[in-house]
Amino acid sequence: MQWFDALVQGILLGGMYAQYALGMALMFGVMRIVNISHGDLVILLSLVGISMASAWGWGPLPVLMALVPLAVLMGWVLQKTVLNKVVGSDPLPSLIATFGLSVALQNLMLQIWSANSRSLPGGGIESQSIEIGGIYIGLLPVIVLVVATALTWGLDIMLKRTRFGRALRAASADVEAAAMTGINPRAVYALATAVAVGILGFAAVFQALRSTVAPADGPAQLIYAFEAVIIGGMGSVWGAFIGSMVLGISQGIGFRIDPGFGVLAGHIVFLIVLATRPQGLFGRA
Amino acid sequence: MTMTAIPYADTEAPDVLVERQSRSGRIAMTLAVLGLIGLAVMPWWASTGTIRSVLELCCYIAVAQMWNLLAGYAGLVSVGQQAFMGAAGYALFVLAQTYGINPFVAIFLSLLVPAVLAVPIYFLLHRLDGPYFSIGTWVVAEVFRLTASNMPIVNSGAGMSLRVMKDFSSFERNVAMSLLCAFMLLATLGGSYWLLRSRFGLALIAMRDNPIAAASQGVNVAKLRFLIYVAAAVGCGLAGSIYFMAQLRITPGSAFDPMWANVAIFIVMIGGIGSIEGVLIGSLIYFIADRWFGEYGATYFVVLGLMTLLVALYARTGIWGLVSKRWDAPWFPIRRKLVHRKP
Repeated sequence: MQWFDALVQGILLGGMYAQYALGMALMFGVMRIVNISHGDLVILLSLVGISMASAWGWGPLPVLMALVPLAVLMGWVLQKTVLNKVVGSDPLPSLIATFGLSVALQNLMLQIWSANSRSLPGGGIESQSIEIGGIYIGLLPVIVLVVATALTWGLDIMLKRTRFGRALRAASADVEAAAMTGINPRAVYALATAVAVGILGFAAVFQALRSTVAPADGPAQLIYAFEAVIIGGMGSVWGAFIGSMVLGISQGIGFRIDPGFGVLAGHIVFLIVLATRPQGLFGRA
Repeated sequence: MTMTAIPYADTEAPDVLVERQSRSGRIAMTLAVLGLIGLAVMPWWASTGTIRSVLELCCYIAVAQMWNLLAGYAGLVSVGQQAFMGAAGYALFVLAQTYGINPFVAIFLSLLVPAVLAVPIYFLLHRLDGPYFSIGTWVVAEVFRLTASNMPIVNSGAGMSLRVMKDFSSFERNVAMSLLCAFMLLATLGGSYWLLRSRFGLALIAMRDNPIAAASQGVNVAKLRFLIYVAAAVGCGLAGSIYFMAQLRITPGSAFDPMWANVAIFIVMIGGIGSIEGVLIGSLIYFIADRWFGEYGATYFVVLGLMTLLVALYARTGIWGLVSKRWDAPWFPIRRKLVHRKP
């Protein structure tokens, strides 16, 4: 029973990780760019959301409604001002640029919000739970998982069915050929990053509701998102989702073995996947 | 008559010399040798405080040069070299403090740990594509940190102290620190310079400019990358051992501090990637900036981060790139230049 509980909690934790991992999978799939400031953007959005809630007395839903468009805008600006200049076959410029941005963002947040941990008041939603067969399941983690599933499904449909999705897939397969057929890669990239960071708007609200956030938390979120994407297999949206579940379950079971072992268990599962199945669980070999 | 299918026209070999050193290079080499001697005799001219500061600067130079070899030549952008610094540092503490080996012998023994660890880690991580390799190195450093936090032999999260150092007088320690500083620079900078001037250097420079073209010219890119990765691990390990010996204390948080990745990236990118001169310039700038502006804490790091971002966007060759475009006076010439033999 205890292990079943760990499994359930792990899946729910995976829902949170999926919200970070989707944007990363999308950006890497399309541009071969890893945004090192990915986790710091989540934390920045969370802190902005917390300040909104405390300044204007907003509940979680209005904060979410305000943060997602803000995140979309941030993603678009990030692409236009920084990433479009460094996208290319050489990974170094994009890494260094986003690395510098990450250091700057972390310290900027430290100055504005201080090093304290904060959280978003959820109006009681964060403490409600449902009992199923002797296991207490938090209502909020269930909502997080449902939202993560919906986002994954929505992103998958968008990539498969819409005109923008086709343009994205074309640009990721061969950017020059796509440009020849009349697709503007820079515009596609800007939209892709806007969507990727927009999803982080959801992640930011749920992260702040579920636990606490502090300016130095970003790198850990980046690493979890990265591990989920690699475990699942690069270039697949559902792969990132399943990878998040695997990571969440590994950490959940690890925490149950020893509280000091949880995060390490996730890293170890990641390294095992890397050693035995480097293309990821769902990647094409 | 040679057995070639294509007949070559008989040409006279041009009367040229291969010039590998320049006037600026000779001046710089003299200064470098004097500098190393100056470092080695620090106890006779510098205070303990100065020696500690210089030691820190030498560690920056060493770690930055290792990062430069990895990112600038081998195309391996690591943000997890602190894994090897911490591993070697811990090895030193365990050997010297727990097993009672002379700490100055233990420093060199501790280098075996990063060397041995680097091999399996490279074989795991080299499967990751470009940017994913970088975050992979970071995960490894985190694994090391969390493992050290859970390992009783290194006193888990509480860390260790190097109490055996009190068996040596402060003068003896200063002499050792100074000699170690000089040795560290000789090994990392001198070693890199020697490597770049050897035939491996040609292969490395070819690889830096275009790995695929280099492979087509017979450069074994995979093997060279592996060797550079292991060498950089040992170099960072040396810096880590020396740094933590001077600190006298090591904890999982300090040993595997991602700050080192920030420092190395800042130094190399600002100074100029792919050159030893850039590392020296960048290290001096960082060291001075850290002394002058370190008290501003977060603001200082915001500026550092933004500068790194701007260099990546607009001036990828860094300061040395801009300088060498204007003046052709390398401090550490690695080019082979053909000059007409004077009659």
